[in-house]
Amino acid sequence: MADEAVFLLLHNEMVSGVYKSAEQGEVENGRCITKLENMGFRVGQGLIERFTKDTARFKDELDIMKFVCKDFWTTVFKKQIDNLRTNHQGIYVLQDNKFRLLTQISAGKQYLEHASKYLAFTCGLIRGGLSNLGIKSIVTAEVSSMPACKFQVMIQKL
Amino acid sequence: MTVHNLYLFDRNGVCLHYSEWHRKKQAGIPKEEEYKLMYGMLFSIRSFVSKMSPLDMKDGFLAFQTSRYKLHYYETPTGIKVVMNTDSGVGPIRDVLHHIYSALYVELVVKNPLCPLGQTVQSELFRSRLDSYVRSLPFFSARAG
Repeated sequence: MADEAVFLLLHNEMVSGVYKSAEQGEVENGRCITKLENMGFRVGQGLIERFTKDTARFKDELDIMKFVCKDFWTTVFKKQIDNLRTNHQGIYVLQDNKFRLLTQISAGKQYLEHASKYLAFTCGLIRGGLSNLGIKSIVTAEVSSMPACKFQVMIQKL
Repeated sequence: MTVHNLYLFDRNGVCLHYSEWHRKKQAGIPKEEEYKLMYGMLFSIRSFVSKMSPLDMKDGFLAFQTSRYKLHYYETPTGIKVVMNTDSGVGPIRDVLHHIYSALYVELVVKNPLCPLGQTVQSELFRSRLDSYVRSLPFFSARAG
């Protein structure tokens, strides 16, 4: 699908662009990841407004998480989250066994150390989407074997 | 019927990838020299074919055949050249070479941000997918025929 390739290539260039501009200012790895995550945050906020304009109000937090796993993920990545786990105390783990932005990179351990760069934007996407639905959270990602990855969402109770 | 080896060149003559499956005789020169020789030959044959063609040229150079092997050639508009050496009995495999370009090279190398274009491909994923694709071809047999 043409639209998928456009986003994928743009995202890859964005990551390398942020890292290239960082090298000149001697900024370390963490700052680049934060920049990418903040970009994703703003995009996520906008996207969730657009996707929920016709849906009914959500019953509770779990319902919101299910929406993110099913409809939101399908619209952005053309597939659903494969596994959602929670401890019912504000921690959710979203597992995607074939994450769309990682499938082209490797199948296994090669390039594993670079994977976190390509997940930062998506972490921000989730955080932005949730924030506009009224949930303040912290989202992190971990990957042990590509292209499967896990996004951990920690809800912040105000 | 079998596949002997496969070369992948970019528009500047850099050999992006080489794999072999059945090769009984080596060229007798170092690999770098072999790649340069292959690329130079392809470049010359292409321009020769277009110059000496008695009719308007449609596809240009497609393949050459000897009594022992056949060399198939496919070039994309961006200058990526796919070269496959097979057994003499294999017919035109343009669509196979095109699949190698579009479904393997473009998907796994061009779209991979960690594979810089213009250099030899390091991606293990590309190597293993290409290998399993070639082994699955109908004219590939595990025995060197």
